[in-house]
Amino acid sequence: MELAWYALLGLFFATYLVLGGYDYGVGLLLARGTDPARRRAALTALGPFFLGNEVWLVAAVGILFGAFPTLEGELLSGFYPAVVGALVGVILVTAGVQLRSRPTAQAARARWDRVVVAGSALAALGWGALLGGLLQGVPRHADGHVAGVSHLFTPFAAAAGLAMLALVAVHGATFLTLRLPAADAAAVGRLARRLVPVALAAVATATVLGLLSERVRAAAARPLVGVLLPLSLVAALLVARAALGRGRPGVAFAATGAALALPVALVGATLWPWVLVSTVDPAASLSVADAAASGPTLRLLGWLALPLLPALLGFQAMCWWVFRGRTDGRAPVYW
Amino acid sequence: MDTLLLARLQFATTTSIHFLFVVVTLGLVTLLVGLQTAWFLTGNPAWERLTRFWGQLYVINYVLGIATGIVMEFQFGLNWSGLSRYVGNVFGAPLAIETLVAFFLESTFLGMWIFGWHRLRRGVHLALLWGVALTAYASAFWIMVANSWLQNPVGYELRDGVAHLTDFTALLTNPSLGMAFGHVVAAALLTGGVLMAAVSAWHLIRRTPDFALFRTSLRIGLVTAAIAVTLVQGFGFAQFGPVGQVQPTKFGGGPEADALVAEWTARFGPGDYSPPVLSDVGLGFMILIGFTLGCVWLLLPLLWRDWVIRLRFPLWLILFALPLPFVAVILGWIAREVGRQPWVAYGLLPTGQAVSGVDAGLMLASLIGFSLLLGTLAVTNWTLLARHAARGAADPALGRPPGGRDDDARPEPAFA
Repeated sequence: MELAWYALLGLFFATYLVLGGYDYGVGLLLARGTDPARRRAALTALGPFFLGNEVWLVAAVGILFGAFPTLEGELLSGFYPAVVGALVGVILVTAGVQLRSRPTAQAARARWDRVVVAGSALAALGWGALLGGLLQGVPRHADGHVAGVSHLFTPFAAAAGLAMLALVAVHGATFLTLRLPAADAAAVGRLARRLVPVALAAVATATVLGLLSERVRAAAARPLVGVLLPLSLVAALLVARAALGRGRPGVAFAATGAALALPVALVGATLWPWVLVSTVDPAASLSVADAAASGPTLRLLGWLALPLLPALLGFQAMCWWVFRGRTDGRAPVYW
Repeated sequence: MDTLLLARLQFATTTSIHFLFVVVTLGLVTLLVGLQTAWFLTGNPAWERLTRFWGQLYVINYVLGIATGIVMEFQFGLNWSGLSRYVGNVFGAPLAIETLVAFFLESTFLGMWIFGWHRLRRGVHLALLWGVALTAYASAFWIMVANSWLQNPVGYELRDGVAHLTDFTALLTNPSLGMAFGHVVAAALLTGGVLMAAVSAWHLIRRTPDFALFRTSLRIGLVTAAIAVTLVQGFGFAQFGPVGQVQPTKFGGGPEADALVAEWTARFGPGDYSPPVLSDVGLGFMILIGFTLGCVWLLLPLLWRDWVIRLRFPLWLILFALPLPFVAVILGWIAREVGRQPWVAYGLLPTGQAVSGVDAGLMLASLIGFSLLLGTLAVTNWTLLARHAARGAADPALGRPPGGRDDDARPEPAFA
């Protein structure tokens, strides 16, 4: 029962990183060039999907609160700086993308675009640092509380944040390659290909720092799964680069999407059966089973989620299907 | 400054800003459903123009509702980790349900609605707006289920100091839920109605083009506000009975309150168990505003032969009434939430025990940062709303046919 909910939590958070990831990637890429028409085209490509993407985050936190209340409190307050950073980023992107085209003056729109760029960077750095922070364990004491936040400020957490930033940028560029009108897609496809080595370097740096970190080595309950993480990221990125080169943006998008979803699954699997590994007192580590809500709550939520999940997926799929394909002159413009 | 006070201030700030936007969301979406349904049934393009104009204001307003809502959701874990630790088994369930059943679908539908103009069949497009509205109401319902549980914890048992769910239906039949939900929904309708009437009044005062359009929305706004204000008053006064029973300390003392305080002193040790006076003051002023807004009924006879417009001064009254519902909802919220103190879950979990063990300096930085961020966004959002309201219904970006006039090269309207 706990495992099912843990998997569901991971599914929602991973889906958020995949879908929200291209929002932030597109947001980051607003920084290149100052051509207003090109920025508008990028935001039009996000268009109808934007509002349906971040709901996965809200739902993931809802599941976290409902099914893993103990974890919710310790995770969010224990990683305060990373979570607040990501949260501020999410807020800035949400407000920036939706409001940037409401003023008519180009200068005001350019200011909003800078807000979106900054927000996208913060969100990616924050979530990356959070995933890295999970891998290096937390100072959870016998009273059940994580003490302080300085544990987060390590080279590895920073490298994990930067790796997420690079992955998100590649993902966003790949999304635009898939979605923009064919004439504009070629240029952004080349950009995506050029970003892949950057992402590979970032992943490699994080891997080296992780292997050197004593805390990471101690926290990994399944080191083999942990080693699989950077390997699979490298593989996904190489597949994406090859697919972009052969003009297969769909395959490339699937690969970069996998590169954003895999960290969630593999971090979870590396730490299993723990979720918060204590660096100060092995007995104070929090296991998934202990973090979960009690039986009646999980059963109630389970009966609810069972019929609901197909509906949630169905309406999301409806959105993807209705607005599928490349944008063109007939695409609705609003953001 | 201690962490507890800072965390409370942060929650109060975030929630106040959130509330100012979600009442408009809930009120306007209801009116929008009416407008678009009328368009669908009659095919009259006047209804389409109304839907686009008010829909655009609705969508701008919606942005801050989400932004502040996400901050609130995270704040439970960031600043109130004790809440999830001690009562998360029960309190978390309605919140999880809200995100999955309501918000998830609401935003998905809204994205399709905004971009579905000229693309989806009209029936599907209308159905999406109905979906947005229904899920918005569901959202309000589940949030009120969670909030009512904090006001009056039911359906749980304590094991090792942690609350476990025993009876979920008790949460749904909570005496502090029913009337309060009606009150909040009616207050949202009232706010939406007053907003619609006030913006229309401004255009009619300025004699902008589109007389017919704003005449229609003035009438819709006034009638909605009149019906809603009566419901607000009814649901409001109906709450005194059940609230007095389950929360005797909320509105002043009395023998029941004294008995409860004596029981708490025995269980939790001596302390000050009476809520701050702020809550009673807020309640008094809110009731005053409620009666003032009740005067909207006096304007309804003036709808005959458009006297409300011809006399002019009623239009000014309506315009000046615009801040009132917003002030009232904040005061009402203060009465409900501050009146619960010093408990986060009434009689079960003291507020001091629920706060996270975060350093006060970090909490202060977070308070200042989020207040500035959300405050700035709120003011920016209201400025944009005011500009778009003033710009009129000539050609809102929402629902503009694609491939037509280039939006980026649009001239500034003369009267904005």
